[in-house]
Amino acid sequence: MVGTALFFLFAGFAIMCAISMVYHKNPLYSAISLVGVFISLSCIYVTLAAPFIAAVQILIYAGAIMVLVVFVIMLLNLDDDRPLNRLRYLYAIGGGLGVVLLAQTLFVFYAVLRAPNQPVDPNTSAGKTLTIGQAMYTEYLLPVEIVGVLLMMAIIGSVMLARRLSQPQLELVVEREEELRGEDD
Amino acid sequence: MNMFLFAELTVPDPNVSVILPEMIVAVAGVIVMLYDSFFPKQRAVSGAIAIIGLALSAVVLATMWGGNVPATSWNGMIAHDNLRLSFSFVFLFVSAMTVLISTVWVERENVPAGEYHALLLFATFGMMMMSAGNDLVIIFLGLETLSIATYVMAGLRRADLKSNESAMKYFILGSFASAFLLYGMALIYGATGSTNLTEIAGKIAAPNFPVNFPALLLAGGAMMVIGFGFKIAMAPFHIWTPDVYEGAPTPVTAFMAAGPKAAAFASFLRVFVLGLPLVAGVQASGYLHESWTTALAVMAMVTIIVGNVAAIMQDNVKRMLAYSSIAHAGYALVGFIGAGMAKTDQARDEAIASVAFYMLTYAVTNMGAFAIVTLLSQKNDRRTQFEDYNGIGFKSPLLAFSLSLFMLSLFGLPLTAGFMGKILVFSSALGSGNLLVTALVVVAVIGSAISAYYYLRMIVVMFFRERTTEWIAPKITTAIGAVLVIAVIGVFYLGLFSDGLIQRFSRPGAAVITKAEK
Repeated sequence: MVGTALFFLFAGFAIMCAISMVYHKNPLYSAISLVGVFISLSCIYVTLAAPFIAAVQILIYAGAIMVLVVFVIMLLNLDDDRPLNRLRYLYAIGGGLGVVLLAQTLFVFYAVLRAPNQPVDPNTSAGKTLTIGQAMYTEYLLPVEIVGVLLMMAIIGSVMLARRLSQPQLELVVEREEELRGEDD
Repeated sequence: MNMFLFAELTVPDPNVSVILPEMIVAVAGVIVMLYDSFFPKQRAVSGAIAIIGLALSAVVLATMWGGNVPATSWNGMIAHDNLRLSFSFVFLFVSAMTVLISTVWVERENVPAGEYHALLLFATFGMMMMSAGNDLVIIFLGLETLSIATYVMAGLRRADLKSNESAMKYFILGSFASAFLLYGMALIYGATGSTNLTEIAGKIAAPNFPVNFPALLLAGGAMMVIGFGFKIAMAPFHIWTPDVYEGAPTPVTAFMAAGPKAAAFASFLRVFVLGLPLVAGVQASGYLHESWTTALAVMAMVTIIVGNVAAIMQDNVKRMLAYSSIAHAGYALVGFIGAGMAKTDQARDEAIASVAFYMLTYAVTNMGAFAIVTLLSQKNDRRTQFEDYNGIGFKSPLLAFSLSLFMLSLFGLPLTAGFMGKILVFSSALGSGNLLVTALVVVAVIGSAISAYYYLRMIVVMFFRERTTEWIAPKITTAIGAVLVIAVIGVFYLGLFSDGLIQRFSRPGAAVITKAEK
């Protein structure tokens, strides 16, 4: 009973924050609202007896990623987001597709509710840090190794894209711009 | 510490020899990085290391064909079957060709060669994991490894706005597609309680599978169709293709058109044909099977029509090839649906082999065509309009004749690779005897007829148009020459003597041996 009440509390908070995130025109407010979504999700994870995921949610999303997002917003000094008149008809299409998606989600919920109840083992150790660690280094050893390659490659890639342009490349930019100017004339 | 938990530990079951080909490729990537950090001025050595690594991996893979390898290993995460073997060869071939094609470009535009080759090798590693992965986790990680490497490679020409646009579009839309794919995987996991494809197939086949879970399965399957459909450039998820292919550096475009597409097909086949099979008498699997085959058949028709019709209207050669690659994804989907509809296991394996063979023929032809486009495009990919090809036919006959050959093979002229590929996928689809699939094959044949316009236009432009501007014949370097020779021989070999290879691809060699062993 308490669990249900808590779920609705946090879920409601998450949905409100999500709506506020989409609604606000100032990107900074949107970012802060997103933090609210992450924190309420993390609370839901706690009520579902998954403390590890809850902690990771706070650490990675609310902590690291959102700090980065806020930094970028501050550094870029963004203006308020102005609606694009040119793409107004897309709102109608998007709204229509959104309704379809919502109907689909409700259908899935309905089907799950009608499905026979699966008994939950009260002694299950799923979601605990120890269990996750053990699974990572036994059953899921190979995925962990692949993630290693993936992360290394992502670092190489981002360094490569962020590096200062070399002299020949800068010359290419100039050349290109001159060419474009030539086409305009 | 809870001692009883440790007693339940799963044994990791590491089997290094099974993933040796993948590991060789990844290690070659690391060696390239290390070498490049000591000799940053080098241009060719890292490419040579990459080619050696890819060749070594291919040799190891060849020894595993029919060798004594378990059908699944790493707790069922890695499958060893013909699907993995045949597609892995396609990936290795594509990567090696890309290294050769990009020699010109690396030289011309001062690309950081070490990082570029390392990214290419890691992307290949990801592709091979995608074809070998028998677990949704492995498939997703392989796809991400491949995608992130490709996003960066598309934006390598940082001084060019078009390249930036290409990388940004690919990155944002690709991440979106990955999110769909992941959501779909989560729903499938929710419905079946497993990420392992063999177990998922077993759960679906169980006669007492809860009747209401098809809702989750259907939603999950639809999400995965979107995710994979984006990667293979299937309509209506193809919108990104022309812009990304046009803006990316030409060698990278060559890679993207042949490699990631084939990799996505490998995973797509494994998840849908092997992971969500049709089981007689089970309602849930019937629903699921009927809906995905129907949806894919309709989308394949749209893909073929959109790709071919839009290609007619292009003035840029790279955009034309991008639309042609969309159309080719549609033809390969015909074989895919044939595999899904197959009535026997043997027919299914043959249909899967036909898709692998199709991707190989497309890769061979495409690599050759893009090699020539790279050579002619000059610095910054400036010369990629049809006008730039005006009248070069008799001035650079070698280039013009081989490009014409590749165009004819893409069109599917008899005696070329493209013809054999199309025949195989169409016949495997017709074998199912389903009305919708027959209609799909008819659409595909009509689409091929339409494609004659823009493939032949290329030939007409090269041989029968007057050139108004001055023409300086580009110097054919050794590497590009090698690519052209391999591609021309490949087109004729696959078109004329492909019997042995097709049987290799479809013979259930690996599986039979492990069964006998047990």
